[in-house]
Amino acid sequence: MKVLVVGAGLAGLTAATDLAARGVDVQVLEARDRVGGRMHGIEVAQDDWADAGAAYLGERHTELLALMAETDLKAVPTAMEGASRFALTAPDATAPDARSVPGRFPPLSGVALGELFDLLDEVTRTVRVDAPWLTPDAERLDSITAAEWAEENLRHPDARLFFPLFLGEMMAAAPADVSVLHMAFYLRSGGGLRYLNAFAGGAQESRIDGGAHRLCEVLAARLGDRVRLGEPVLAVEQDGDGVTVRTAGGAHRGDAVIVAVPPVLADRIGFRPALPEPRSSDRTAPGCAVKVHLIHPSPLWREMGLSGWSVSSDGPLLSTVDDSPPGGVGVLTGFVTGEEAKRYAALPLAEQRAAAVAQAALLFPGLPEPIGFHVTNWLDEPYSRGCYAALFGPGDWIAQGPGLTRPHGRVHWAGTETSTEFFGLMEGAIRSGRRAAAEAAHDHPTSGSAL
Amino acid sequence: MSADDIVEIFRRVLETDDITADSDFFLLGGDSLLGTRVLSAVARTRGVELSFEDLLDAPTPDALAKKIAGVTR
Repeated sequence: MKVLVVGAGLAGLTAATDLAARGVDVQVLEARDRVGGRMHGIEVAQDDWADAGAAYLGERHTELLALMAETDLKAVPTAMEGASRFALTAPDATAPDARSVPGRFPPLSGVALGELFDLLDEVTRTVRVDAPWLTPDAERLDSITAAEWAEENLRHPDARLFFPLFLGEMMAAAPADVSVLHMAFYLRSGGGLRYLNAFAGGAQESRIDGGAHRLCEVLAARLGDRVRLGEPVLAVEQDGDGVTVRTAGGAHRGDAVIVAVPPVLADRIGFRPALPEPRSSDRTAPGCAVKVHLIHPSPLWREMGLSGWSVSSDGPLLSTVDDSPPGGVGVLTGFVTGEEAKRYAALPLAEQRAAAVAQAALLFPGLPEPIGFHVTNWLDEPYSRGCYAALFGPGDWIAQGPGLTRPHGRVHWAGTETSTEFFGLMEGAIRSGRRAAAEAAHDHPTSGSAL
Repeated sequence: MSADDIVEIFRRVLETDDITADSDFFLLGGDSLLGTRVLSAVARTRGVELSFEDLLDAPTPDALAKKIAGVTR
């Protein structure tokens, strides 16, 4: 038996690893000249790496933690000490103003934010997380955007100010891009509001030592020449005996294929026979995240008693966090998300740099020019088309949801968007890869495994 | 608003029954996000707008009930 895997991100590599362990012949075809997909490292100083894509994990990410233990990768806590900085101003304010606050609580009305989180908690609880399209009232929840929901439900100006920032942080979405059903599903899938939002005791408890990309590199190294780079897949053709996967470089033959790429990219592959329904629509948006790294000789903000955590209502850096490697250079990560990401992504690099540096200087007074500056624009990455994950717009869950994991003959589906558990996260990618590998091995056992 | 009322709010927000009048919200897994939901519940039932600092300062049902009584006196 031979299984072809399209995409060498975490989902595809996990699927290939599982199949290889069952004695199945596997071949992974990756479009880029690197593995890892949305897990990508930047060497910001010698032997110091920053995560340009996926970065954080928590104790509920059990499959990821098990895989890290098995590959001898360690978790680095994201512990924050010191005060936070907030630059939250009403839209009509004349000059931006930043202030220090102990802990992570924004200087906004606690009651107003409580009402916002009550409302979010309420809608999140109603979701059938294993099958969002079966949620009570799914039709209505899938027909309105989170922006429309906020307009109707949020009264207090502080709640209206904070909601898009929260959604940007949680799921790299502009409220107008996602349906209420997708928002509620995403929050529930990731463990609920509190878990998804928290650093200590939550989904941002730690990072992978040396960079998240190392996990993919270790898995790929073990697979060796079973991973081929620079092979963008153009077509997947099934016949009575098997499946042919055509890439720019040639054709590959197998008994089954696991497609482990985001839904929008899967829809650009020519399938024969055709898919019964598309995996995305014109309302499916890319996860709107641009990640910025400001590199300093050391984490200078700590000397000011600041944690590096900040939230701003005006961009480009809607939040910043200290992602410095232990004992290494200072890495201030800036998240540009939602609508702001679309605007920022279109700027020339010099303007991106100037805007980010100016904002960092406002947030962290006295912070000098960085010694290094990196921008990772996931919106325009041709082989990701967004990060953290695809954003399902109105109608998407009802139309495409039921088919996301349904095999199409010999074609099986993986990728974090096919996992209803921890959708959009590394944990979801691993779980999807495990499921797809088990399906493929179960459905096409004829050629016999070596086990 | 009695300490018992606040015990009920803590139970709902923290999703545990293991709360008494002297349970510390933050030692039982409460964080700032969940804390705001205590504040909104107090505002809804009592009409008193507490700040997050009030909860940090009075993190048990007993202490918070006293603070609310002080505000409304």
